[in-house]
Amino acid sequence: MALGASAADAHRMREPGRNKVVDLAISDGGVAGWVAASRSRILRRLRLNDAFFRHLTRSAAVLVLLILSGVIIALIDGAIPAIRAFGFDFLIEERWNPVTEKFGAFASIYGTLVTSFIAMLFAVPFGLLIALFLTELCPMWLRRPIGIAIELLAGVPSIIYGIWGLFVFAPFLQRTLQPTLIDFFGDNPWFGTIPVLSTLFEGPPYGIGMLTAGLILAVMVLPFVTSISRDVFEAVPAVLKEAAYGVGCTTWEVARYVVLPYARVGVIGGIMLGLGRALGETMAVTFVIGNAHRVTASILAPGTTISATIANEFTEAVGTLYTSALIELGLILFVITFIVLAAARYMLLRIERRIG
Amino acid sequence: MSSMANVGTAAPPPPTVAARQSDAAGRLAEKVSVRDLSFFYGENRALKAINVSLYDRKVTAFIGPSGCGKSTLLRILNRIYDLYPNQRAEGEVLLDGKNILANGQDLNLLRARIGMVFQKPTPFPMSIYENIAFGVRLYERLPRTELDARVETALRRAAIWEEVKDKLHANGLSLSGGQQQRLCIARTVAVKPEVILLDEPCSALDPISTAKIEELIDELKDDYTIAIVTHNMQQAARVSDFTAFMYLGELVEFDTTSKMFTTPADRRTQDYITGRFG
Amino acid sequence: MSLYFRRRIRNIIVLGLSVGATVIGLGWLVMILGELVYEGFSGLSVAVFTEMTPPPGSDGGLLNPIVGSLMLTTLAVAIGTPIGILAGTYMAEYGKYAKLTIVVRFVNDILLSAPSIVVGLFVYEIMVAPMGHFSGWAGAVALAIIVVPVVVRTTEDMLTLVPKELREAATALGVPRAHVIRYVSYRAVQAGLVTGVLLAIARISGETAPLMFTSLNNQFFSVDLNGQIASLPYVIFQFASSAYPEWQKLAWIGALIITFAVLALSITARVLASSRKSS
Repeated sequence: MALGASAADAHRMREPGRNKVVDLAISDGGVAGWVAASRSRILRRLRLNDAFFRHLTRSAAVLVLLILSGVIIALIDGAIPAIRAFGFDFLIEERWNPVTEKFGAFASIYGTLVTSFIAMLFAVPFGLLIALFLTELCPMWLRRPIGIAIELLAGVPSIIYGIWGLFVFAPFLQRTLQPTLIDFFGDNPWFGTIPVLSTLFEGPPYGIGMLTAGLILAVMVLPFVTSISRDVFEAVPAVLKEAAYGVGCTTWEVARYVVLPYARVGVIGGIMLGLGRALGETMAVTFVIGNAHRVTASILAPGTTISATIANEFTEAVGTLYTSALIELGLILFVITFIVLAAARYMLLRIERRIG
Repeated sequence: MSSMANVGTAAPPPPTVAARQSDAAGRLAEKVSVRDLSFFYGENRALKAINVSLYDRKVTAFIGPSGCGKSTLLRILNRIYDLYPNQRAEGEVLLDGKNILANGQDLNLLRARIGMVFQKPTPFPMSIYENIAFGVRLYERLPRTELDARVETALRRAAIWEEVKDKLHANGLSLSGGQQQRLCIARTVAVKPEVILLDEPCSALDPISTAKIEELIDELKDDYTIAIVTHNMQQAARVSDFTAFMYLGELVEFDTTSKMFTTPADRRTQDYITGRFG
Repeated sequence: MSLYFRRRIRNIIVLGLSVGATVIGLGWLVMILGELVYEGFSGLSVAVFTEMTPPPGSDGGLLNPIVGSLMLTTLAVAIGTPIGILAGTYMAEYGKYAKLTIVVRFVNDILLSAPSIVVGLFVYEIMVAPMGHFSGWAGAVALAIIVVPVVVRTTEDMLTLVPKELREAATALGVPRAHVIRYVSYRAVQAGLVTGVLLAIARISGETAPLMFTSLNNQFFSVDLNGQIASLPYVIFQFASSAYPEWQKLAWIGALIITFAVLALSITARVLASSRKSS
């Protein structure tokens, strides 16, 4: 086999003296030893540099851990006086009386849970439907603008929702929706008084109240749920959808029987992230919740949430017990959101593992 | 003639290495000696007791089917596997007589002496000039004019100077694939290594760029010891002085290129070279 | 009614609902932003940027909260960004396979979505209570704690995207790890890191709750970080929940300014991100 004849031989014949100058610059062999010695000096210095940088980055990572631990410890530390004073009853006591220094978190916890529930009740179906629209129905040229609009909506600071709620939405509800609900469920010409729902929608139309707060929260949480759902829907492999279309499924059937089951875990993770956000939200809710430490069956009534209580009362709290009770509220909120977020993280991890 | 029955049997490679070395290469200096080298990915043994030598200022090619361990072997020589956990090597690799697998080895120094060019061209996100100067600056404080000269030298060595001399400050990524790979070679050469490892340097390139790089290898071997991994047998035959054939993590045969491709001793080598499997 | 016909009806209904949901969902955005522009824009004037916040019932501007917010934001970014980038670097590089990284990633995600009011309480406990007074420093620290998780996340995500071949090529040259990270990896993801910082800024621009217990507010113009500092979000909160129309007007104007700033930052971040992709 004449494979031995190489391009090299041809090359050498072409340009015999080409590399002479270059060879002088790269002198070899004996220089290697000297070069190595001076290099190791420099590299020793660089190695210290490297170790320093490694420890620096590691410390920063540990600092992140410390921040979270710090938050937990500080909260517990601040809440101890209240924990000692009220014990477990704090969680079920409705009374909140700064004058007699008897505090109970029940109204706040109730409000937090109810407003968040209302928020998710609206945000989830809307979010899923919008995500469905974006991935299946929407014309291509419209997808990016709408997607961008959704993300911009997610970036609007919550206080904006708060003042919009206070000045625009609440009065609107007071004038229109609430009277309608009260009349319809309370005493209407067709069905008379509807049992459960009439208590749910009872009372004078304040405009502000838990329903209003819940609805505003819904608008706030909607972009999160939509965004995550859309990402998860898009990650469904096209082959699965095509197979379903191939047997004649309608778009809805593909969504229901293929996309949703595949994306189920991710969607739930997204929902829980949205829930975590809703639970902790302060400014969107504080303006319109009514700040009443009462638990009422009617969602049209004013109430309070944990974050609204803290926001409204912390700077005026006098006495260690009052402050401590508020901090204990903060601790409770943190624990609730921690659990929800940890669960969300776990779920999203499962879908990440499946996809990637 | 030779049947496929013996391919893949567990018989250890015949002791071709020691015996044949003295024939062709008795007077040559060993730059790098690999002794009894085994390599593990976790529990999985990827290389089995490899014994091979890279001779000073010669080109040694490593050929074999996919997954035979040739890239793995190359990556041990500059200990780049150290970047990843769960990968470990056992045995010895001697560079000028000193074991580079020993603890306490300065890896940066080692890698300055043993350079590597990868399959995928990877210019740094900097200008062409900076790509070359970056490595040089690491080790030497040179005044501007000397640095310029070093950059030019390296680029000439890699046969790319004429093409980039007017755009030294353009981004490295603006070059074509073949040019980028030559830039990577220039970068490697600029830090004055003693050994250059090439891991399938042409597999991502078009034939013209490939030919240019093969010419380059022939020039470079005047000054550097070169090891090249390639899945292209004709390329191995064109550029190398010695060839090692690997299969399933073992070194099957190692000899001068001309001998390997004309009268290989092992049947497996023969089968691979004649294309019975690959 | 045939089965096929019912299926088609169902399909049309659902798809109709999805279109309706999109229209309503986007409708909120249009409505809210529209109201914001309507109320806020009409009150915009030079006075807003040059005069201090007025006492109840009179006219004035938003000078001190605007300056205050700028100061607090700048400080928070200055504190939080280095920590975030360094931590993210550890997680993506040195500690890529370490157990510490898994824990920090989890903790970081919790911090990322934790209620910001809790952060405010935390900084109150560790800075305001011991010091005995509210201060701008405390406010900046509270915002920094919100900045850190955002930057950590983007940094880790970006650095993980650096192709391993690039890292190996630099390492094979004998470049020490720190240099590889600083001169190769960071440079490769420059735009991404900046995007992360911009997103963090957008995030803290509208945060009120953390400031309520730390830097509180200042009626007058002040740049003394040892004392209370005015901030736009807090002023909006105070003025909007009051009964004075002048104050309420200023609240709308402030809201418009913040929203505009946040949108501008988000859009810039987005443009940066896509220009990086095309290069």
